[in-house]
Amino acid sequence: MELDELKSLINHKLSTDHTTRSAEDIAVLLTKKTGSVIGKLKRSLRIEIISCIVVIVLFFYLGFAGGYRSLQIYFSVFGVLSFIFLGFIIYLLRRTIQLSATTLPVKSNLQTIVNIIEEFNRRYFQFNMALIPICFIFSFILGYNEPKHIPELDNFAKNLFSAKWQVIVFGVVYMILLSVGAYFFTKWYLRKLYGRYIDQLKECIRELGAE
Amino acid sequence: MASEKEFISLLNQHQKIVYKVCNLYMDRHSDREDLFQEITLQAWKAYGNFRGDAKFSTWLYRVALNTAITFFRKEKKKPEIFSTDIIPEQPEEPDTLIEEQVKAMYAAIGDLSKIDKAIIMLYLEDYSYAEIGEMMGITANNVAVKMSRIKIKLKEETQKQLATN
Repeated sequence: MELDELKSLINHKLSTDHTTRSAEDIAVLLTKKTGSVIGKLKRSLRIEIISCIVVIVLFFYLGFAGGYRSLQIYFSVFGVLSFIFLGFIIYLLRRTIQLSATTLPVKSNLQTIVNIIEEFNRRYFQFNMALIPICFIFSFILGYNEPKHIPELDNFAKNLFSAKWQVIVFGVVYMILLSVGAYFFTKWYLRKLYGRYIDQLKECIRELGAE
Repeated sequence: MASEKEFISLLNQHQKIVYKVCNLYMDRHSDREDLFQEITLQAWKAYGNFRGDAKFSTWLYRVALNTAITFFRKEKKKPEIFSTDIIPEQPEEPDTLIEEQVKAMYAAIGDLSKIDKAIIMLYLEDYSYAEIGEMMGITANNVAVKMSRIKIKLKEETQKQLATN
């Protein structure tokens, strides 16, 4: 039996057996929260924006009010970096909101969603990875140049290390472990968040492209 | 500013479209309800930009299909098998041949990919290949090729289903 011979029957069946909703039921639905991935992305971007603002305020406060010059520079630089990241998140949120308000053809819609999520993943990863060397470099430079001594830190170092080379080895091992750990954790985290979803959307795009 | 009343009234008139998409894409009742809610919300968000240069039904199809295709459930408790429970059962009487065929075709449609389901949905609505292509973002030729492939696939699957019954 061909599809065309059953066309009207299937079409009829598809559209008939359902619970009809009243206008009031539909009005209630408009007040509910979206469960789509794009909706979730929007929510997570909004949370990131709030967190970023809190971090910026905190970093600048520590930067200006911190007793040590090294900490002042350290937190000020991180405050500026977070400010740049904040700008990027706001841009991405605007693009996501724009996407919700437009009705694109299926293929363009899929591509736009994939682009937004991939851009979010890429920048989030770059930002996290860029923080690691900046963090290390600043820690060393500023630690060496700090005019004031931090007694707690000096005591800790004295108890733990007896020679300068031990401090260097410890520093290098610590940096490598932290960098590798942060690299794999960020990759895993982003993959867990949107990896499977992106794969499924790409599969749909590939299918649309194939003749 | 889009009028909420106007939107609700239009959606109320065209809610069969949303149900068709929900029935086509979701197997379980609860999933169909969730998808209905999601399509309603997405349509409301996009309604402000609906300029009326297309028919509301065509616009709603586009929103509904976009939402259904990008709507993923985190975990499925059972594999997605297209439900035939929306076909009214009449246990007292044996199924006629045509009912058996419709059921088999239904099941075969349920096994199609999300993209093929969207194309079938629009085809069942008598949209032309050019219109389907415009909604899907592909050429009319591509739609024709896909439709021909889908029809063969459905015929084969339907025959298999009928043979096993």
